[in-house]
Formats: sequence, structure tokens, C-alpha cells
Amino acid sequence: MPTENAYLLFDLPGGRLAFGEGDLDIWAEHLTWCYRMMGIPDGATIAVQDFGSSPISFLGSSLLMPGLQRGVAERIGGRFICLDASAERVTLTPALLSQLTVDALVIREDVIELLSAELRKREFAALARRTMKTIVVFGDEPPAFNAARPDSWRHLMHVESTLLLAPQCVKCDCFHLRQGVYEVDGRIVRNLRLAAPAYDLPRGELFPPSHCAAGIGDWCIGWSPRGRGI
Amino acid sequence: MRDTTSSCARSEAIETLSGAQLTAWQTDRLREVAIYAYREVPFYRQLWDRAGVEPGLLGSIEDFARFPTISKDDLVQAGNCWTNPHQGSVAFSTRGTSGAPLLVWLSAEEEEAYIRPTMRGFRWAGFQPGMTALLMSPVWHRLAACEAHAIARLGGRCAFFWGSMGTEYTDSFLHTLASERPEFITTTAPFLLSLVRRSPGDATRPHKLFKGVRSVVVVGLPLTPRMREFLRDRLQVEDVFERGGTQEGAATDECRWHTAPHVHEDVCYLEVVDDAGIHVAPGFRGRLIVTKLTTAGSIFVRYDTGDVAAFAPGECPCGCGFRRLKIYGRPESSVLVGDRLITAYDVRMCIEEDPALVGRNVLLVREANTRAGVLTVAVEGDAHDPAKLQARLREQLGVATADIVWLGDLRVNWGFRQVLDGREVRLPGS
Repeated sequence: MPTENAYLLFDLPGGRLAFGEGDLDIWAEHLTWCYRMMGIPDGATIAVQDFGSSPISFLGSSLLMPGLQRGVAERIGGRFICLDASAERVTLTPALLSQLTVDALVIREDVIELLSAELRKREFAALARRTMKTIVVFGDEPPAFNAARPDSWRHLMHVESTLLLAPQCVKCDCFHLRQGVYEVDGRIVRNLRLAAPAYDLPRGELFPPSHCAAGIGDWCIGWSPRGRGI
Repeated sequence: MRDTTSSCARSEAIETLSGAQLTAWQTDRLREVAIYAYREVPFYRQLWDRAGVEPGLLGSIEDFARFPTISKDDLVQAGNCWTNPHQGSVAFSTRGTSGAPLLVWLSAEEEEAYIRPTMRGFRWAGFQPGMTALLMSPVWHRLAACEAHAIARLGGRCAFFWGSMGTEYTDSFLHTLASERPEFITTTAPFLLSLVRRSPGDATRPHKLFKGVRSVVVVGLPLTPRMREFLRDRLQVEDVFERGGTQEGAATDECRWHTAPHVHEDVCYLEVVDDAGIHVAPGFRGRLIVTKLTTAGSIFVRYDTGDVAAFAPGECPCGCGFRRLKIYGRPESSVLVGDRLITAYDVRMCIEEDPALVGRNVLLVREANTRAGVLTVAVEGDAHDPAKLQARLREQLGVATADIVWLGDLRVNWGFRQVLDGREVRLPGS
């Protein structure tokens, strides 16, 4: 795709973000790191059920946004399936997933129950058992424990207005604040690469660097079992 | 930055070709696409071998009309046999309102081809460099993905609201409208109507927030002339334009004359055929058949959309040589009443003859008794002169009986649906 001089504005819950030249690629590079941290291999097919105004969606490929040189699909040499998160579209997802094999389904937490209900329908029962990594995206509220959800599910913490993206580590189960992308001061988390308001972590436990070998310089956010409703 | 000037110049030149020149140009493209599809996509090779047609011998539009049409079911059944090795890395879903949804792939090369007509359509709708455009979600539709690229190349700013196109996101849309003050908007007609017809108790007056908006471009619903007037008046915007397109490659945009949307003939070849598969003359309705004029992305050759459409007769005063096509309804926005196919557009035309009913959302209700010639229509809001409306529906649509269900205060998430199965909901008064 050609380079385009894009000026982009996103109205988000709790704020507004403006992106200029080069910003989106910085952000897409970090989202790609998050996926790799959650075990998504190069060449993967990723289906994303989120709103188009969410970076989880629009950073998926350079085809989706001007000014984005390489989205996630281009960075991992994979494929990206656009599934809008409106209720109307969520009901279509099981039929679509039955047409091709996806390696990861990334889905907003607030539509997961709707999708689960669709998947429970008789004709899609086999699909629900398919080996597909499911990544549930949530905001600053930790996901409540649900015994019915498979252990293999991963979570991605995403606070849109503060540009906070923290993946759940396959090694330590905590959420990594990547070294060089975020700095932590008390419970305040700041994005070092892009201009965004600081994030005041309301809950959870913060572990300083050296907590996990998967990212030795990363701060990590952990929730106690009680905090997760267990 | 890649130079896009030459490609723009090409797309402008093609608008002024004579009918014969354009046909010759499209025939060449159709032959290229057919030869490619035969070579690379097993589904087409097998289909055309069975039908005894040879892409290499395709020398005219008449030759092309002998190629078999295909349906969505054919493609879903074909699975990997329909895969184009160069189909690209991003997929969108069809809406699935007429059977199983289909995944349609987009490549960079194909998107590049479709950005040009998107820029053309936006220019027709009055977009100028420096404007801010409030756009639809780029993951909603493959044509929506082209929109932000087109705005960036036209020298504009792109703004996006949070959420999707359901009625639950109208507040979010209005918030962005108030904070970003765009001059140009793309959205869906059902969403816009829901916004205009928010509860009267709401403090926000939409037209105040639309102050400064020059153009609104809508998709998802064929605009009736009165609906356009209604939206222009209520929102107090300069103009409202209809934009059309399908995931399968059809792309249309209105010029300022609003005679009917022009087909972007440089990216798609559209046909309108009758039940026997014969081309119908401009002014007559038939089924829309789509062929994409690019070998990238998912390949569609003579794809029968099932949509009810008609080419507009004569020429447009704007001088553009592209044909004009009105898509009146999709299979999912029509009901068969007796032996007549009634589209939601036809019903709205009829309803809107009463000025008090213009702008209300309308749903056709598919019920068992449609076979007996009973048309059931659900109309948003309170009852208004029902006897006259029933008589008008009977007379103009040629149905034996017309039942009207007034939805009153019932809040419906309109989405794109224009037909409701009678078993799905319990309607007031039913």
C-alpha cells in the first residue's frame, strides 16, 4: 500500500485519540508483540470480533487504515478476518468459523456470552471444541473467573484511551507491561512511545521487573485468585 | 509517498468514454478476468468446462452472457476450490441474511483498484481537501475499508466514533459529531433514521449537531426521493447521497443530480437479467449479476446476488458515461405476496405518499399467509390514517389484503433488516 498522509481521530470510551504519521505502526508493532507473547505464531490466521474503531481491529492490516504501513497481518505474514462486534454480526461468527480454520479468535469480553450462546447451538457444537486459541479482550475490569471457560483461553488487557495493551503471559499468567513501551510510577502507567493520558491502575497487584523470564524487564499486573472471583 | 495522480487521471478519463468504447474496454477486462479465473481457480475451471464456454474466446458482451451465473450457495459449497491464490490477507463477511454468510477476501491490489472509485464518489458528493469526514467502521465492509484511504488521499481528516452501526451507538455517534464537527459523513441509512427518530424526550436535537455538515453519504437502504428530502430537512445538511455496493464487488455512487447511482464501471461489470437469464432493458427490473473487473481478492464472475435492480434509462445530466443502477431490494428485504415480489422500497414509496409517515422505519413481515396474498407491514410509531394507507398498499402493490402493525414506542434495533419473520417477535396487536 502507498504511504498516505493520514490524520486520524478516534472517539473512545473515556477519551479521544489522534494519530499522525508513523504513530499507527508503532502501535501495530506493540500489538503484534502482544500476540506473540500470547503464543500466536507467524503465519497465523487471526479473527477479531471487535468494533472497527478499536485498534485491535483497525491495526489488523494496512488495508484497513491509511498511514499504517504494516498491520498485524503484514507483520506476522498471516491473515486477518474482520468480524464486527455488533450483536448482528456476532451471530454470524459460528457459520464463518466453520468455513475456515482460524488459529486465534480475539473477542471483546462484552460479546463473549452472545457468541458462546451461538456456539452452543447444536450445529456448531463441534466447532466449539476445535483447537483454536481464544483471546478475550477486556478493559480495566479483570475478567471474572468462569469455570466453564477452557484453561487455554488467554486475556488481553486493553484500555483504549490510555493506549494500554498488556497481554496475559503463557508462562506466568500475569499481564506484561512491556519494557520500553510503558513506565510505571507507583500505580501510574505511562505509554512512552505515543502521546496518551497516564493510566491509574485501579486494582490488581504490580510486580516489578524480574518477575517473569518471558519479559525480564517488564512490569507485570497480576490478579489474585480472589480478585478473579475464584 | 506513492504518486496516485496518474491513476486518478485514468479513472477520470474512463468516465468520458463513449458507450462503445467503454464496452470494448470492459470486454477486454472480462476476458482477462475469465482467463485468470479459469487458470487459477478450480471452481470456475470445472464450472465452465461443464458449460462448454472458453474464456480465451470471449470477444464480446454477448459471449460473456453465455457464461453460467453462480450463487452464494455454489461458493459456500465450493470451499477451497473457489480460492484465488492471490486473494489477499484480509477477509470480510457477507451479512448472511440470505443463508450462510460468505467470507470474501481483499488484497492490497484489489483495494487499490477500489480506492479510486471511492475517491470519485466522494468528490461527486462534494468532498473537498481539508474537510473532516466522520466515517463508518473500516471492518464493517470491504468498501468501508477503502473509505479512510480515499479521504486521506483526497487531503482530508478521518474521524471514527466508538461502537458499531446499531441503535445502541447513536449517542456515541452524536458525541463524535459534536466534538469533531465533520463536514462529510458516511453512514448507513437505518442508523441515520434511528438517530433522527430518537425518543422525543431526548434533549439532543440532531440537526443542531449536524450544523456544518455539507454531505451525508448513506449505504444499506435504497433512498426514496421523499426519504432524501426528509433527511435533508431534519438534519439540515446540504445534501444526502446514496452509495451502494456489495461485498462481491458491485460499487455505485450518486452524483449531485440524484438520477440514480452511477456504476463504477472501471471496477465492476453489472448486468440485470430476467428469470430466463436474459438482459432486461433499462427501466425494467430484474436480478443483479456482478462481475469484478480485477483478478485480485475473491473472484466473482457472473455472481447472481438475487438483488432486485434496474438500470436507469437515458443519460445523466452530469455527463458521466457510467450507467446508472438502482438496487431496489435484496432477497432478504423482499417478500413474495401471492406471486408478486414486494420490496421494502416499494412499500416505503407507498407509505411515504403521506407526509406524516415519511422517515419512519418500515419492516415487512414474512408470514404464512403471504401466500394467500396478504401483505403485512410493521410501521414505526403511532397509527396514522390506517384505512387510507391500507387502500393505497392494496391498489399500488396489487395485493389482496394489506395488514399494518403500528409499532408505537417499541424500540427495534433496525440494523439492515427490512423483513421480519412473523414467528420471531410478538408484535403489538398480534
